[in-house]
Amino acid sequence: MSYLVATVKQIESCDNLHIVAFDYQAQTLRMMSLDLHEDIKIGVKVKLAIKPSHIALAKDFSGELSYSNQLQATIVSITNGELLSAIKLDCEGSILESIITLSSSQRMDLRVGEGIVALVKASELSIDEVLNV
Amino acid sequence: MIKIEINKKLHGANGGMDLSVRLDILQGDFVALTGQSGSGKTTLLRILAGLESSSGTISVEGEVWQDSKTSLIPQKRKIGFVFQDYALFDNMSVEQNLLYVQKDRALAYKLLELTQLNQLKDRMPSTLSGGQKQRVSLCRAMMNRPQLLLMDEPLSALDPTMRTKLQHEILALHKEFGTTTIMVSHDPSEIYRLAQRVVVLHGGKIINDGTPKDILLKTSGSAKFSFEGELLDIVKVDVIHLAIIAIGQQLVEVVVSDDEAKTLEIGQSVSVSTKAFTPRLKGL
Repeated sequence: MSYLVATVKQIESCDNLHIVAFDYQAQTLRMMSLDLHEDIKIGVKVKLAIKPSHIALAKDFSGELSYSNQLQATIVSITNGELLSAIKLDCEGSILESIITLSSSQRMDLRVGEGIVALVKASELSIDEVLNV
Repeated sequence: MIKIEINKKLHGANGGMDLSVRLDILQGDFVALTGQSGSGKTTLLRILAGLESSSGTISVEGEVWQDSKTSLIPQKRKIGFVFQDYALFDNMSVEQNLLYVQKDRALAYKLLELTQLNQLKDRMPSTLSGGQKQRVSLCRAMMNRPQLLLMDEPLSALDPTMRTKLQHEILALHKEFGTTTIMVSHDPSEIYRLAQRVVVLHGGKIINDGTPKDILLKTSGSAKFSFEGELLDIVKVDVIHLAIIAIGQQLVEVVVSDDEAKTLEIGQSVSVSTKAFTPRLKGL
């Protein structure tokens, strides 16, 4: 799992469906969720979790993407296997891991130290724990 | 309102334990009592029925069943009790089993009709299936129009289909008579279907009390799909790891990263969870 500590800044609701917006180092993240824990309120700090296989990467991209979460990051390491590639990113001090296919990694010609955008769908971002209430 | 405030020292398999329960139950409520074996669930039911002594007070709709001075004998408490093993009188027919409690033919007829047993009223218990026997014992428990119906894992000896059928009949009886009910159960689907409230006992104390959805949806953070299992193995494949986990009777595999694999230990209990958006659902 990759983790980010962020602050709840907005909650939109429709019945028991919610879109929660978080502030992470001046970047906005959005999460789709069903019933929310009662502790989750505006101003509360939470630890967000993302599964490495749910993080996509974009390089030199222009155009619109539906991804609600587009985080600026820098590649800190690339571990290539036979089929897959595990790429660690530094995103404003937190380390994220993205697992993509080796062919994508090679096609994008990813290099350590490069700037990259990490993409996460709102439905794939989750709250791991509430840090302060 | 049923007000329970009791204490009793128990000597269980894990040494001494204080059963200490304070519980208020609204009239007409259906409460599921759950918790690990040895947590005091059956003892609590037996204390309410007057089959075991304890210190403290029990009052039911203003009538004192037990306090420091008095303790009503079981026959004086308006209780219906359904046991896991039916406990029918084998030498009496179905109808006689009911009438033994109360000579009220109209009520017996109504109960047998509600549970679709009227065809079987002259049969002896030994000729009935487990599901039929448990329906008879449920009817028998209702014969004295109890103020409190106690059921100790009433359906756990039955197969899943029969269980679902009896759950519907228990619901129908509860709707018809509005009897305040406490049922010991370990089955989440049963609890969800029948109860409005779940009370969790652990080591003789209530550790959780709420609606079935709040208590049974085991979630942390925003994960909605959560199961407990045992981590059997971690196998490295390429740059990822596969964790093999036993959940109930099934094995599942979960992809974990290198860093996560290092923090896990084979044999440990783990929770497997994902958000409600991810799992696929297909009819079988």
